[in-house]
Amino acid sequence: MATSDPSVFLLTVNGQIEGADFPEYDNLYCKYCFVYGHDWAQISGLEEGITQITCKGSQSSHKLIWNFPLETTFKSTNPSGWPQLVVSVYGPDVFGNDVVRGYGATHIPFTSGQHTKTVPMFVPEPTWRLQKFTSWLLGRRPEYTDPKVVAQGEGREVTRVRSQGFVSVSFHILTKDMKKLGYDTGPSSPVNNGSDASAWSTEEQTYRM
Amino acid sequence: MAELHVIGQIVGASGFPQNSLFCKWGVHTGGAWRLLSGLKEGQTQVDVPQTGDMAFWSHPIDLHYATKGIQGWPKVHLQVWHQDSFGRCQLFGYGYCHVPSSPGHHRVRCVTWRPLGSWQEQLAQTFVGGGAQLRSPELVYSGADRYRLHTEAMGTVELELGVIMRHFDKYGVES
Repeated sequence: MATSDPSVFLLTVNGQIEGADFPEYDNLYCKYCFVYGHDWAQISGLEEGITQITCKGSQSSHKLIWNFPLETTFKSTNPSGWPQLVVSVYGPDVFGNDVVRGYGATHIPFTSGQHTKTVPMFVPEPTWRLQKFTSWLLGRRPEYTDPKVVAQGEGREVTRVRSQGFVSVSFHILTKDMKKLGYDTGPSSPVNNGSDASAWSTEEQTYRM
Repeated sequence: MAELHVIGQIVGASGFPQNSLFCKWGVHTGGAWRLLSGLKEGQTQVDVPQTGDMAFWSHPIDLHYATKGIQGWPKVHLQVWHQDSFGRCQLFGYGYCHVPSSPGHHRVRCVTWRPLGSWQEQLAQTFVGGGAQLRSPELVYSGADRYRLHTEAMGTVELELGVIMRHFDKYGVES
């Protein structure tokens, strides 16, 4: 298995989409996919998937839980274009139509160890008040034709969005041969991250000021 | 040549008087650095948060630099703007921060400031908005002529910056 002069390195991701925090919406499901650069290839695991539909429990008025597994491995020659996880959340509106409740993206961490990420979710906003009303009435909110645009930086300057929730994802990362190729990714993630089994306690508070 | 990867995102901003915000950002480096791939400047979307004070952009940054020296380490410079419901834009702050110089994941909080005009201009600003802007944006990340400015404190921008370094140890750089 060991090669003396590797030309590619591997990134293994074992994680889960734990759940979401949307104060105003319920009965949500989530679609995910991975976006990466030209030098990357996904060699195992599903490229995209859909979770179950979940609703809020009786204990907490905000938390929705999916507990959806993510297991995948990438290979690459170059850290540019590092994979991102793109997440989109959908749910029913008042009339029963399926509308988008949030898009979000986060980079897969590159240090080995456990990481929890809280991804802010936003929806494109119509600018005209009349358009907001008609889209509410007809159940046709503005959506991205391809959710992968959320992982890119170009073309964002003309969009107006509203952030309305968070999705919590946890990752356990393993890399192979990055050091042999000369890449220094820093220390493994610190011990105090490992004691948090779920994301809610620490990550949420850092962003809610 | 040593290589540096900066992989992360501009997460969002908080602590500003209004929260319908967007950010123009750029990365400035010295002469020894060469950008191999990635966009070194851009503009985020406008976010109007539904709950809470923080505007979230999640704007991805993925830069690959090659360098012959450690002078001129990359700096991220930001301008935070406010867009109101009529589509008018107003400057809310300038700020800059260095890209961390140790590999790994970092959460960086960048503080911002806004130039103050004379008292007449400040009075006009409270009624109609607008306000003074810098003529040359390089002043944000250089210290050269700062003594001429009078500024006020504004909010903070939060960034998650991951740094991967390659071959820096071969040149004797310890990080």
